[in-house]
Amino acid sequence: MQSFFRFLYELIGTPQPPADTPVYRQIVFPNIGLLNLGISLALVLIFYYVINKAMGVATFNKLRHWTLFLVLNALVAFIVVVWQAKAQQVTDHSYIYWLATLNAVYGLLFYFLFSVILRKGSTNASTTPF
Amino acid sequence: MQRPLSSQLLPGLLAVALLLPGCYSRDDLKSDAGTTKAAETTETSADKAPAASSPDAEPSSAAATTGPLKQVNVFLEVSGSMEGFMPKTGADAQNTRFQQHIVQFLSDVNRSASAQRKTFYRIKEKPYRDSYQQLETTVREGIREPASSTSIPAILDTLVSHYYQPNAVNVLISDFIYAPRNAGAVPYIKTDITDALNAAGRSDLAVSVYGHTSDFKGAFYPAMKTAAKRINRCCDTDIPYYIWVIGPADAVRRFDAALLKKAPNEQAHFGVKYSAPASSLLNKFQNQGAWYYGEKDASKRTAGASYHTVAVSEVSAQQPIEFVLGMNLQPLPTLYHDLGYLKSNLQLVGQDTDAKVVSVFGATDQTRASSGPEAQYTHFVKIRVTKMGKAARPLQVILQDKRPMWITQWTTKNDSNINQVGAKTFALSSLVDGVAAVTTDEQDQAPIFQIPLTLQPAD
Repeated sequence: MQSFFRFLYELIGTPQPPADTPVYRQIVFPNIGLLNLGISLALVLIFYYVINKAMGVATFNKLRHWTLFLVLNALVAFIVVVWQAKAQQVTDHSYIYWLATLNAVYGLLFYFLFSVILRKGSTNASTTPF
Repeated sequence: MQRPLSSQLLPGLLAVALLLPGCYSRDDLKSDAGTTKAAETTETSADKAPAASSPDAEPSSAAATTGPLKQVNVFLEVSGSMEGFMPKTGADAQNTRFQQHIVQFLSDVNRSASAQRKTFYRIKEKPYRDSYQQLETTVREGIREPASSTSIPAILDTLVSHYYQPNAVNVLISDFIYAPRNAGAVPYIKTDITDALNAAGRSDLAVSVYGHTSDFKGAFYPAMKTAAKRINRCCDTDIPYYIWVIGPADAVRRFDAALLKKAPNEQAHFGVKYSAPASSLLNKFQNQGAWYYGEKDASKRTAGASYHTVAVSEVSAQQPIEFVLGMNLQPLPTLYHDLGYLKSNLQLVGQDTDAKVVSVFGATDQTRASSGPEAQYTHFVKIRVTKMGKAARPLQVILQDKRPMWITQWTTKNDSNINQVGAKTFALSSLVDGVAAVTTDEQDQAPIFQIPLTLQPAD
């Protein structure tokens, strides 16, 4: 799993500064990767199964609502990286924000993929986003 | 049937909140800071009381050899040649630096908790037992009945044959002027010393030599009597005298650490063995280029952990890497703290690499006050690499055991005109050669310490 996340996050190059490489590879990458997957899944479940099924809300199933959650997810993914970098005491470097941006992009992707897979089970939003 | 949105979202938010802590969070984060502080405190206490803590910190010493030494025998030579160091106090109440230094040293030994028994001897033709007070009075007030000259090999023979004990050291204070019978015997000085020290066949014999100089007020008896048998009302120059610590390697090391920690750098150690000092690579201290700790658990950053593997992701002549190795040389004698000695004798031995030492420097107030791991180390070696092998290769940092420069500088071939020669001792380097022949294997000279590092390409 470490090597999977390493592959995913080293598409933009190796961690900087190089001294922090072990911390990124063994702690930060798996942490932000798992959190990103978990939060994306949670938001998708909330959108399709909590709001648009269990609670039966009928006015929160449009594309713009779905997009709101999408952007929210990306923001959370960005913040998670900055927070993890601080928590793991890595050296301040612009790389942290590049990584955060990449994680936000992955957040968009994960959210989209989960939506495609899970939308069918929703009552009110089974056709969102399309 | 619509409930307020906030209460509807609550379970979802809770689920998110539960996910947030993450599965890889480091639980050692807090303990990190705590233990670093603890390490620092031990460091400072080691600074204040090197006597007590450094031998105990020695991992290699056996259980029997921890704690204080069993015995310390102090021998003071009181032949006529030593009178000038200890002139009888006249009305002017002047004393020599020898008197001030040795009185202080005797008092330190007598008071020290690092030896259980302390005995004091005057050496005339043979050692005579004195009390501490008697010997101290002799040093302070001058020699009453100077002995006729005593031969250095004979003294050394006596010390290693009759006073040599495990866990005990013999300390010999003398001018170490060894006058061979005639000029033809000069080439045999080395052999005489070797044979004397080898007389009892002690396999773990070690000798530490400390050189000092003092003003000298009295008759000087040169070893080479070509000009005169004695030079009265000597000397305009300082005269060297020496403290030799002779005993089993481990005892000598502990005595050095306990009582001679503050000795000047005019010292040399033969046959004393030191364990490798605590050391670690420092990945955030003057580091350069694309490298990181290659250890599997490097990400845990356990407090006090040390790292010795350099994983290099990219290196070339244009993009060299530089890494700093921190070392705590506190337990070693001060000679090996000397940056001059370290710079000329620290060597790198590696394969397929052009690794070389860029600089050697000591701890500064800045490093000591740092919150990083560099605070634990007294000395730093910066190493630069521009070329390395395709797989992991060892890289050794070795401190070679080279004869310190001062021994040659303090040696003279002819002391018959000591005022012109200056503060030098006749054939000192031959005496030292004689010691080295007994204590070291000339074929395979062991280094003072070596620290193994690994240089490997990043995975």
